[in-house]
Amino acid sequence: MKVMLEFLGLALLAAVLSGNLCGAIGFYVQRLRITTLSFSVAHAALAGASIGLILNFDPVYSAMIVAVASALILGMIFARIEYGRELISMAVFSASSAVAIFAIYMSNVRVLATASIAVVLWGSLLAITVEKLILLLLTLFMFILYIIAYRIQIDSMLYDVKMAEAEGVNVQMHMLIMLFFAGLIISSSLRLTGGFLVFTLLYNPVAASFQISRKAHLQLLASSILGAASASFGLLVSYTLDWPVGATIAIVSSIILLSAYMMKVLVEAFRRRCLSRP
Amino acid sequence: MHFSKEVVKLRDVWVAYSGSDRPAMCNINLTVPLGKLVLITGPNGAGKTTLIETCLGLLKPYRGSAYLFGVDTRSWRIRHARRMCGFVPQDFMKPPFEAYTVRHVIRLGFAPYKSIFESLTEDEDRRIRRVSELLEIEDLLDRPIGTLSGGQQQRAVIARALVRKPRALFLDEPFSSLDREGRRLISRVVREYVRAEDASVIIVSHDVNPIIDYADIVVRMENGRIVSGEGYA
Repeated sequence: MKVMLEFLGLALLAAVLSGNLCGAIGFYVQRLRITTLSFSVAHAALAGASIGLILNFDPVYSAMIVAVASALILGMIFARIEYGRELISMAVFSASSAVAIFAIYMSNVRVLATASIAVVLWGSLLAITVEKLILLLLTLFMFILYIIAYRIQIDSMLYDVKMAEAEGVNVQMHMLIMLFFAGLIISSSLRLTGGFLVFTLLYNPVAASFQISRKAHLQLLASSILGAASASFGLLVSYTLDWPVGATIAIVSSIILLSAYMMKVLVEAFRRRCLSRP
Repeated sequence: MHFSKEVVKLRDVWVAYSGSDRPAMCNINLTVPLGKLVLITGPNGAGKTTLIETCLGLLKPYRGSAYLFGVDTRSWRIRHARRMCGFVPQDFMKPPFEAYTVRHVIRLGFAPYKSIFESLTEDEDRRIRRVSELLEIEDLLDRPIGTLSGGQQQRAVIARALVRKPRALFLDEPFSSLDREGRRLISRVVREYVRAEDASVIIVSHDVNPIIDYADIVVRMENGRIVSGEGYA
C-alpha cells in the first residue's frame, strides 16, 4: 500500500509538472501563431517514441531527439518561407503518423495493450520514474530561466512579431528556442498522456485561459494552472476508476475548457443584464 | 560595428510574394542618405508598403540588392542595422481585448537593446515620459492600448518608434487614423526630429498634404514601379 501511494505521489508530481509546462508552452505557441508547427512536432515526438520501440531505446529519449530535431528543422524552414506553412506542417504530421504506425507494426510488441505500446500511444501511470521526474524538473527550470532572461524580447514578440523583427529583436532565434522547448516538453509529457492526446494538454488549457482573462500574463498563469489541474485531476480519476490515463486527462481538460466557456457566457449575460437596467 | 551613412540603398530590386505570379515591386532603385525626409506616395496597391518592408529586410528581393545602413538585408547582421531604426506598421491597430498598457507598449521599443536579465533604466523611463508628452498621450500611459481609439493607438506606436532615438524612422501610413490636429502634430514632431537628430524619415502615405511641403525627396509609385521622383538617386 505504502509503495503504491509513493508511486501515485510520483505520478501526481509528474502530472503537475507536465500539465504546467504544456499549459505554458501552449500559451506561447498560440500567441506566436506557431500552433500548427507544434502540432507537427507533437506527431514527430510520437514517431520518435515508436522508433524507440524498434531500436529497443527508451521511447522518451528517442521522442525527444526526433521532436527537437524536427522542431529546429521546421523552424528554420518556416523562417525562410512566407506561405504554405500549414501545408508543410500537415505533410509532416501525416508522415510522422505513418512512421509511428509503421514503427509500431514492425516492433516486437504486437499487442496494443502491452505496457511499452501503451506508453507511446495512450500514456501510462507505470511509465513515471524518478529519472523522468528529474527530466521534467530540469525542463521546467530551463524554461523559467529562459522566460525570465528574455522577458522583454518575448513580450515584444507577443505584442507584435513584425514590429519586434523590424526593431531588431532576434525573432528567428526566439522562435527556434520556443520550438525547441515545445519538442522537449511534448516528448517529456508523452509518457503521461500518450502521443495521440498530448495536444489536449497543449491547447485545451490555453483555450480555457482565453475565456477567463484578456490579460496576457493572467492567461499564461491560468493556462499553466489549468494544465496542471487537468493532468493531476485526470490522473487521479484514471487511478480511481481504472481508466486509461491519457484519455482521462483529455476528457478532464475538455470539461475544464467547456466549463470556462460556459462561465464566460454566463458572466457576459449577467453583465449585459446589469448594464441594461435603468 | 561599422555602418554606412546611406540609410537605404536599393539596386534593381524585384520583390514578389510567394504564391503570386507577378512581382509586387519591379526594378526599384533608391538611395536615401542620412538627414532627409522622404515621402513615398501613390495609390493603393502601388507597392509602397512592400517598399518600406523591403528597406527593413522584412521582405527579401529575389533579384537585385537591398541595403540598410550598408548591411545587405539578406545578411544575419541586418538585425544590428534594424536596431538603428524605428518602425510604425500600417496594421498597428490592436483589438479591444489587448491589455498591454500604452507605457508597456512604448517600453517594448527598448527590447532589442537589452541583454539577458536586464530591465529598464530610469533614463529610459524618463524618455518614455518625454516622448509621450511630446505626442500628447501622457494621460493615456496606464490605459490598455486596446481600449484606445485608432488615433490614440497610432500616437502610442509612433511614441514607441521615437523613444528608441532611431537614426532612421520608417512610418507606414502614419496619418491614416489621425484627425487634422493629430496630423499637424505628427508632421511637426517628425520635422523637428529630423532636424534635431540628423536622422532620416521615410514616410509612406497616400495622403501627401500633411508632410509634402517639408519632404526633401518625394517618390511616386504605381503598379510596383517608381514612376516619378524628386531628389532621389
